[in-house]
Amino acid sequence: MTVTAPSTRAIQWPAVRPWLGAAVRLGLAAVWLFAGATKVGDLAASGRAVNAYQVMPYEVATVIGAALPFVELALGVLLLVGLASRLVASVSTALLVVFITGIASAWARGLAIDCGCFGSGGQLAAGQAPSYLPEILRDLGFLVMAGFLLIWPRTPFSVDGWLAGAAPEEGEDE
Amino acid sequence: MSSRKGQKKAAQVVRAQIAREKRRTRTIITSIAAVVVLVIAGLIGWAVYSSQQSKTFTAPPGANAGGTGILDGNGPVTIDLYEDYLCPVCKQFQQVNGATIDELVRDHKVRVIFHPVAFLNRFSTTQYSTRASAAAGCAAKGSRFKEFTNELFAKQPPEGSAGLSDAELIDIGAGVGLDRDDFGACVNNGTFKAWTAHVTDDASKSGVTGTPTIKVNGKELTDKSPEGIKAAVAAAGK
Repeated sequence: MTVTAPSTRAIQWPAVRPWLGAAVRLGLAAVWLFAGATKVGDLAASGRAVNAYQVMPYEVATVIGAALPFVELALGVLLLVGLASRLVASVSTALLVVFITGIASAWARGLAIDCGCFGSGGQLAAGQAPSYLPEILRDLGFLVMAGFLLIWPRTPFSVDGWLAGAAPEEGEDE
Repeated sequence: MSSRKGQKKAAQVVRAQIAREKRRTRTIITSIAAVVVLVIAGLIGWAVYSSQQSKTFTAPPGANAGGTGILDGNGPVTIDLYEDYLCPVCKQFQQVNGATIDELVRDHKVRVIFHPVAFLNRFSTTQYSTRASAAAGCAAKGSRFKEFTNELFAKQPPEGSAGLSDAELIDIGAGVGLDRDDFGACVNNGTFKAWTAHVTDDASKSGVTGTPTIKVNGKELTDKSPEGIKAAVAAAGK
């Protein structure tokens, strides 16, 4: 039994991967939809959260803060339906890298802010200490998910797959 | 035999190439579609935000020239206070330092600009920070800003709650001597909500990211104790 275990696992990977991919895709969709939805109700606060990082002029920060929730929602919807998954995964990766860099730089500069990742942050509530490390680790987790989709973008139940129809794909040959 | 095999192979190669090209075209089209969706989403956000920005606000009487806070005192040194009515540390700050600041005002050493910012709207279910700040604007209109502010901190609702209702705010206002009808109408109409947004934006613009923040002649204080404030005022007054 112990001898056969590794080989069965090796056989299972191609069968498991598409389903794992679908789970990752839907999981990342949920992350973006939630992130966007918690910010979209108060765009001014979202702008303030961006401004709190103190890396760009206030006017630029407010525009980015207003656009970001909608872009996040759009990313979520695109992932949910599975359209252009590789491109969406690469945009997600780029955004997450920017977020992680922002949090790390706020930490390094000694700013005491809330990351504003979910919901409009910027300022901390009373007695709330910044939790930069958990925020970065969480975003790194999301980054791994985005990376997975970047490498294996084809998943079941996606518009991409539907458009490809029955035609054989490189992804499926592997 | 071998030539037919060759033909078959050639046809296969052509088919594979056509399939590859089809795939590439499809990838390009879906990518363009996705990028368009993302760009449009961003533009919608910008448009919605721009339409929400009210360019016009009316600052209540008693505000400073920029309309970013309520003025008290006429001393040579300026103290800027940025506080949110929902912020428990602001309540503590007022309890610890209120008397000291009042004294500095009475001795004509400082002029205080109180900026009632609405940073913490997400910590109440009813945008309490904005409603309380706008109500404070109404109190300023009735010349009871300070009394009203003290009462709001004394009756501060907990974070995460619905906060005080508009009716409760009006009761508090009437309790500190404001005209119930005038003040009530002002609170119910949200007369100074646009002003609150202006105060909050201005605070953000000037680098304030948390409450309470105190600046003495524009310099942020880290020692927020009575001694620290007195020392900073004395140093700035020289």
